[in-house]
Amino acid sequence: MESSIKGRLLRYWKVYTGALVLAIISDMIGIVKFDIGIGTLTLFPMVFATIIGGLFGPDLLKLFTMEESGAAGAMVLVCLAPFMAKMGVGAGANLSKLVEVGPALLLQEFGNLGTIIISLPVALLLGLKREAIGACYSINRDSNLGLTTDIYGPDAPETKGTFAVYIVGSVIGTVFMSLLASIVASWNIFHPLALGMASGVGSGSMMTAAAGTLATIYPDYAEVIPVLGGASDMLTGITGIYMGTFIGLPLTTWLYNMLEPKIGRIFARNTMDSKVGGEAE
Amino acid sequence: MKAKVEIRFFEQMGLLILAGTIMVLTNMIGFKYTLIQSLQGYAVLGSIALAGVTISRFMSRFIKLPTMMYVSLAGLLLACPASPVKEHIIVWANNFAFLAPATALGAFAGISLGKDMKNFGRMGVKLIAITVLVITGTFIMSAFVADAVLKYMGSI
Repeated sequence: MESSIKGRLLRYWKVYTGALVLAIISDMIGIVKFDIGIGTLTLFPMVFATIIGGLFGPDLLKLFTMEESGAAGAMVLVCLAPFMAKMGVGAGANLSKLVEVGPALLLQEFGNLGTIIISLPVALLLGLKREAIGACYSINRDSNLGLTTDIYGPDAPETKGTFAVYIVGSVIGTVFMSLLASIVASWNIFHPLALGMASGVGSGSMMTAAAGTLATIYPDYAEVIPVLGGASDMLTGITGIYMGTFIGLPLTTWLYNMLEPKIGRIFARNTMDSKVGGEAE
Repeated sequence: MKAKVEIRFFEQMGLLILAGTIMVLTNMIGFKYTLIQSLQGYAVLGSIALAGVTISRFMSRFIKLPTMMYVSLAGLLLACPASPVKEHIIVWANNFAFLAPATALGAFAGISLGKDMKNFGRMGVKLIAITVLVITGTFIMSAFVADAVLKYMGSI
């Protein structure tokens, strides 16, 4: 029974020790914040671990072989399970609070799906293929990362799309959310309470950034905006995984299958044209 | 059949302990919890994870749903107000930081992505553009729906 575990340990000990060392180093670096004038860029230990790990891979520094790199992919799924368990416990502990906030917030969760219609066509125009499905079906916070990895597997292009948006979002998310909140607020087309609800996108730090900005812009609503944002954020954490499984991913895949043949063709012609023009891909 | 399920159960348990070693260290180094607290926290979260994965394996004979959904649902049910063990679950799980599993996840994901680094570098700018667009779309569309619902209900 233990032999398969032992076998794996013997075969891939480098991957496990490598990850252990990477994690310790990254945790000792800790959370690093850069003030860039318009806001703060935040680098979590996870980002360091990912980047350093990637540098040691078979493409660049070649410390790990292709096979070992693949074994690490399988471990990503193992790590996701306790992460999802933690999110589930958080959701369960706050269940009664959410029932209080009522149906307005629940309906608003469907707004999170709206991003698909905007971002998928652009992603295809930029030349992304199946990565676009993972990148565009949701805002790609923690629970979405678990979902895509689980459904498509750690090496699938869909997962790479999700992972890329997850990582980029974790770095620029807070700066961008506070910037976005102040721009959208200046349009004066949405009620402050609606903006407060929209702040909850499934990431605590992004929500805090947006709600904090909105509270300064609308001092009359300064107290209620973070409450709505927090509730909506919590709700996204709970509904996100079901929303993604039953609506988000099927809808994105359907849209992809419809649009990709058309956009892909234009794109193929463009590359051909540019090749004729001397700019080979 | 039973033996096979058992082997996979112990294999999964072994892998969870392997991953857990790193997460416990992260919880101590990065988030300053004690060793005992971290072990308690991981005992709860690791067990929920193992239970979720096992239930998912069993259920997949009937209906194919994402494993992570079962894991998350198991956590939700154990911690919800109706659960008889909710206090223990919540208190122990609180000894484990939300982002404590993330560093190990990042490390493995990084080593795994190592085989696609060139590809990623080439797509870098596009991926940043997509991220910005995805966040913008989510925020504006949510605000749009929330605004409409609040108006319809007469709250604003």
